[in-house]
Amino acid sequence: MRIDVVDNHGQFTHLEGRALRDLGIETETIDNETPPEEIDADGLVLSGGPDIERAGRCGEYLDLDIPLLGICLGMQVIADELGGSVGSGEYGGYADVTVEIVDDEDPLIGSLAPETRVWASHGDEVKELPEGFSLTGKSDICGIEAMSFEERDLYGVQWHPEVAHTEEGEAVFENFRTICE
Amino acid sequence: MVRPEAFVDDAVAEIRDEIGDANAVIALSGGVDSSVAAALAYEAVGDQLTPVYVDTGLMRKGETEQVSETFSYMESLRVVDAEERFLDLLSGVTDPEAKREVIGEGFIREFEREAKEADADYLVQGTIYPDRIESEGGIKSHHNVGGLPDVIDFEGIVEPVRDLYKDEVREVARELGLEELVAERMPFPGPGLAVRVIGEVTEEKLSVAREACHVVEDELEEYEPWQALAAVIGKATGVKGDNRVHGWVVSVRSVESRDGMTARAQEIDWETLQRIQSRITGKNENVARVVYDVTHKPPATIEYE
Repeated sequence: MRIDVVDNHGQFTHLEGRALRDLGIETETIDNETPPEEIDADGLVLSGGPDIERAGRCGEYLDLDIPLLGICLGMQVIADELGGSVGSGEYGGYADVTVEIVDDEDPLIGSLAPETRVWASHGDEVKELPEGFSLTGKSDICGIEAMSFEERDLYGVQWHPEVAHTEEGEAVFENFRTICE
Repeated sequence: MVRPEAFVDDAVAEIRDEIGDANAVIALSGGVDSSVAAALAYEAVGDQLTPVYVDTGLMRKGETEQVSETFSYMESLRVVDAEERFLDLLSGVTDPEAKREVIGEGFIREFEREAKEADADYLVQGTIYPDRIESEGGIKSHHNVGGLPDVIDFEGIVEPVRDLYKDEVREVARELGLEELVAERMPFPGPGLAVRVIGEVTEEKLSVAREACHVVEDELEEYEPWQALAAVIGKATGVKGDNRVHGWVVSVRSVESRDGMTARAQEIDWETLQRIQSRITGKNENVARVVYDVTHKPPATIEYE
C-alpha cells in the first residue's frame, strides 16, 4: 500500500505525509509537475496550497484511475477540472468549524456522522459540484465542505484532516486507506 | 511519530559523517530545538565542537544565565555579549521581514567570527520542519533559514532535526536525557523578543516585552500552554494616578498546539487575566493597557511578526 502526496505548495503538505506515515502507510511527497506516467501509487492526496494557478499537473492525475483525495485547494482542483465551479466564500473559513455529515454512508467521511469538528483555512471554496459528485458535508460558513464521486473514487474535503486540531482527521486518512485497498 | 532511539543513532552517525575531522560551531539558543541539535552534535564529534550562545539582548528574563548554567558541562561553551551590536543593527528597522533578515545576518556574522576563532568549517543549527515550510511558503522567514545571507563563510550547514516537528524534538530530547528542558522551556523564536515588539526595536519596548513575558509565563504555568507570551503592539491612552499616560499596549497570548502548525487560543479565567493585567501595568509605568488575543492559528500565527 502506497499513497503519495502531491505538493501544491501548502503549508500543511508535510503534515499529510506525516499523517500517512503515522498510520504506517508508505508515502512520498511529490512535486505537482511530476509526469503522470511516473506516478506509481495506490492512491494520491492532492494537497492544499495558496493558488490554483500553481496546481501544476494535478488535473492530469484524475485520469490515472486511482483513488484521489483532494484537500482544500486539492478539492477545488478536482471540482474545477471536472466542470464544477470554484469561487471566493462569503466568509473565510479559518480555524474551528463544525461540519455536518450529509451522507453517513460515504466511504470517506460517513463514519464521522452526524458531525465533526475540523480546522480549516481557506478563502475560496467549491460553489457548484461537478457532474457525478454528491455533497457529503456542509457547514454554516461553507455550503460544500466535502464531496464524493464513489464510482470514480474521487473525494474532496475543504478542511484539513492532517492538522492536530481536526478532531477526527486520522479517521479520514484511515478511510482513504480502505478506499485505496 | 519518530522513533527516538533509532533517530538518535542515525543523526549522530550522519553528523559524524558530515563533519568528519573538522571543527564545528553550534548555534545554541537554549530552546529545545538547538539544545537537542547541540546534544546530538556533542555526542557525534565531542571536542571538535564549540557551542556558541549569542546574547543578542533580545532574550527573555534570566535566559542567558540559565543557558550558561545548563550547558556549563560543555567546556568549550562561549557566551557572546552582542547586545549593543544587535541594537545598532536593528536601529530604524521597522518592517517585520527586514527585522528577521537583519537578525539572521547578525547571527551568522557572530558565528562566523567565533567559528574562525574555533577554526570551525561547519555550522550546526536546530532548524526544525515548520521553520522550513513557513520560510519556503513565504509566510515568515526564520532566522536560521530564510534569513541566511548569500555569502556564508562555512563549508557546510548541518541541521540534524530538520525533518522533525516540535513534539518529536521533545521526544528526542527525552531520549537524550534533557528532561528539564522538555518540561520547563516553551518554544521561543530565534529572533527573540524582536518579534514581540511591533515596529522598531528599542530598549524601552524590549524591556516592557521582557517583563511582561515573564509575568505571563509565571501566571499561566498551570494552564500548561504550548506557548505563552506577551507582545508590545502599539500605544494607547490610559490614566494613572490622575495623570494621562500615552503608554504601550501589551497583548497577552497563550495557545495550545501539537506541532505549532495550528494552534488554539486558550480559555483563561478572568481572575488570572486580571492578575496578569495588574502585574504588567503595575510594574511598568509606561504600559497603558493589556489585551488578550483570542485568535487561533490560522488565521493568526503564534508570534506577532
